[in-house]
Amino acid sequence: AAKMSAPTMEERKACWGARDEFWQCLDRHADDVSKCEKLRLSFESRCPQQWVKYFDKRRDFLKYKKKLETEGYHPPEAAGKS
Amino acid sequence: WLYLKEEKERRQRARRQEELRALALGQGDFQLVDHTGRARRKSDFLGHWVLLYFGFTHCPDVCPEELEKLGRVVELLEQENSQKGAHKGVLPPIQPLFITVDPERDSVDALARYVRDFHPRLLGLTGSAEAVRAAGRAYRVYAQAGPPDASGEYLVDHSIILYLLGPDGLLLDYYGRSKSEEQIARSVRRHMDTYQPLPM
Repeated sequence: AAKMSAPTMEERKACWGARDEFWQCLDRHADDVSKCEKLRLSFESRCPQQWVKYFDKRRDFLKYKKKLETEGYHPPEAAGKS
Repeated sequence: WLYLKEEKERRQRARRQEELRALALGQGDFQLVDHTGRARRKSDFLGHWVLLYFGFTHCPDVCPEELEKLGRVVELLEQENSQKGAHKGVLPPIQPLFITVDPERDSVDALARYVRDFHPRLLGLTGSAEAVRAAGRAYRVYAQAGPPDASGEYLVDHSIILYLLGPDGLLLDYYGRSKSEEQIARSVRRHMDTYQPLPM
C-alpha cells in the first residue's frame, strides 16, 4: 500500500487547532472526556492517528508536570505521612 | 558584578568551545541528495556557515516549530548583514539545512513539499538509509523509529538540536529547544566575529 504523505502546513494547523479546542474543552470540564466527545472526534478526524496518540501522551505529561510544579513530588512511600 | 558575570560567561563559552573541538563532531563527508534531486556532499558547504537540524516530515509539532525558529534565526542574521553594509566585509548568508531521520518515507519529493513552508533557502537532504544513518552518526544524533501502527504509520523519536557548523565543516555550537531565535542569532554572530580557522 502506498504510504500516506506527510500533512501539509495547512493540515498541521488544522490538526493543532482541533487539538487545542479539544484540550480547552477538557480544561473547562476537569478532563471529563464525555463532555467533549464532539471535539474529540473532530481532533481524531483532523490528525493522523500517530499524532493523536502523541498528543494524548503529551497532555498527560503536561498535566503531570503541572501537578509536580504545584503540588510537589510525593513519592509513593509518603502516602501515609501526615 | 556585571564584569564578573560577563567574564564567567566568557569562560564558560571558551570551555564549551574546547569540549566541542575535542569531540570534533561532524567529521567525515556525507553523501546525500537535496530536495531538488541534486547530489550534495558535506564538502559542498565548506566555506559556509551552516545551521543544521535533523528531523522528519511526519513530525507532529517539534520539527515545524524548530524549523520556523531556524528560519527566523537566518532572517535575523540576514537583517544584520544588510545593516552592516557591503564595505564591512559581509559574510556569505548562513545556510539552513534539514537532514531527515526518516529516509524510508522522506523521499526527495516529500522533502520538497515540506521545506517550501519554511525559509526559502532551507535545503532538505535525504538519501539511502545507510547514507542518512552515517550523517546522523557523525553528529551523534539520536533517532529511533517507533513501532508502526495497523496502517503502517510511525513516528521517529529523535534528539532536538540545531547544530552550528563553521566554514571548516566542524561543529562550533549547538542549541536546544529552549533557546530562542534571538539567543541563537546572538551566539552565531559571536562565533562569526571570533572565528579562527583551524591550522592546516
